Amino acid sequence: MSAFLEYVPGDSLLHRLNPVAKLGAAALFAVACFCSGSFVFLAVLLAAGFALAASCGMVRQTFGLARAVLAFSLILAVVQLLTTPAGAQLVPLPWGFIGTGSLLAALTTVVRLVAAAIPLFLVFYVTKLNDLTNAAVKVLHVPYRYAFAFTSTVRFIPVFMNDMKGIMEAQTARGVQFDTGGVVKKARLMVPLCVPLLVSSVRKTNSAAIAAEVRGFNLRTSASGYKEYPLTPRDAAALLACALLVVAAVALGVLG
Amino acid sequence: MIRITDFSFRYREGAVPAVSGANLSIGRGEFVGVTGAAGSGKSTLTYALNGIVPHCYPGDFYGSVEVDGMDTCEAALTDVSRVVGSVCQDVESQFVTSVVEDEVLYGLENFAVPRGEIESRLTRALADMGIADLRERAIASLSGGQKQKVAIASVLALRPQALVLDEPTAELDPASSQNVFDLLARYARQHGTAVVVVEQKIALLARYADTLVIMEEGRIRFADAPAAVLAHDGELARIGVSCPRATALVNRLRAAGVCGGRTARTVREACDVVKEAAA
Repeated sequence: MSAFLEYVPGDSLLHRLNPVAKLGAAALFAVACFCSGSFVFLAVLLAAGFALAASCGMVRQTFGLARAVLAFSLILAVVQLLTTPAGAQLVPLPWGFIGTGSLLAALTTVVRLVAAAIPLFLVFYVTKLNDLTNAAVKVLHVPYRYAFAFTSTVRFIPVFMNDMKGIMEAQTARGVQFDTGGVVKKARLMVPLCVPLLVSSVRKTNSAAIAAEVRGFNLRTSASGYKEYPLTPRDAAALLACALLVVAAVALGVLG
Repeated sequence: MIRITDFSFRYREGAVPAVSGANLSIGRGEFVGVTGAAGSGKSTLTYALNGIVPHCYPGDFYGSVEVDGMDTCEAALTDVSRVVGSVCQDVESQFVTSVVEDEVLYGLENFAVPRGEIESRLTRALADMGIADLRERAIASLSGGQKQKVAIASVLALRPQALVLDEPTAELDPASSQNVFDLLARYARQHGTAVVVVEQKIALLARYADTLVIMEEGRIRFADAPAAVLAHDGELARIGVSCPRATALVNRLRAAGVCGGRTARTVREACDVVKEAAA
């Protein structure tokens, strides 16, 4: 994975699925995660997510994502741990207690968020961004302006990150010490750098808009795309499988 | 093909005009090189050709700029773009997609090039720029020079009647720069396309351009055949334009009375002049 949201080439099943089907299936998968409160079911979905990652050779990157989501979901897990007194009491608190149920709820939250994030993460790395937007325009009839805005936003993230890195390196060369002190000090040092970043960002986006316009941006319609994105039985099967996961999650919730 | 008449432009936020009283006529198949010191109005002149001024950068526009009979101020930017292909100075921000193939396809798709032609145009443009092997590559993974070639290929694929390129070889090594100029000169001849290149590498402009335009503080100071323009090496140096070393050498020899006659644009021509003087 060389850059943020940069396409990883491959020939896996996930690579070959229709971009819209991939996105739809990933969304259904995430819905299934949020519809279920069953730890076992979520663990199975998590394992399925990693199996999917293995099928397209992205296990290492997926572990990286899992770590990032874990860091975020731990905050939620701690809140849940402290505010969900359930099961056998383990630690008494002034306002309640932490019980086995609290632990399970916190763990379920972590597993749910990681499991829901993996397929969406994979979709963005195994699909060319352009294919994703073109397919959304052609198949879902999303207005091209919105699709283009989305593509441009994602495409500019690494560009702006590089710009920020360059500005920080320039400031470091002038004696600014970003690597010493705490987070607050670092944030205070970085705030003034937002101005040059903002200026270069506005300039770049303006140039990109002009470049798009002089290459016929305003003439583009949903029929303009050269590549076709037909939905195949394989895509239908993927969507159906994920829809069944949602049904299973809801059914488990109702029955459980 | 291109006619610039008494063109002046002052950006809305500018105190003085970026270009003043410019007059220039460019025929089909003509290769025009534009150079000058920083801030002399080169880029603004090209923006007038492709309609970026006044359509994207508003300001006071005087005179007229016509391309293929179309007034670039009156016509919509999209209509101007059908005729004029542009490569901007900052190629990095010119890209609208993330993969080379998609980047070249973008304009072809928008301008509704027939499906049967798209593949051949795409392949040809990439081959012409020597980047056929980069077709599937992510643009972010390319070097600066490769990105510049992709930007040029994406415009060549559109087969415009006029090509405007702002420093298209800024990030290329000398050999690649020469390849790009070779291609542009050949393209201008074969397709009858008017090519306007803003460039700081005056040796390349002198060698390839049919007409060399020197800008000074927003005005066209010289617009003539390169040999005629380069004969004014003293004045060019004064306005911040360095002559190719071969030209400067021959001009000095001529001033010293060692040789006479023509101005040398290349090392080979300088050698010929010196040999003639020695004979």
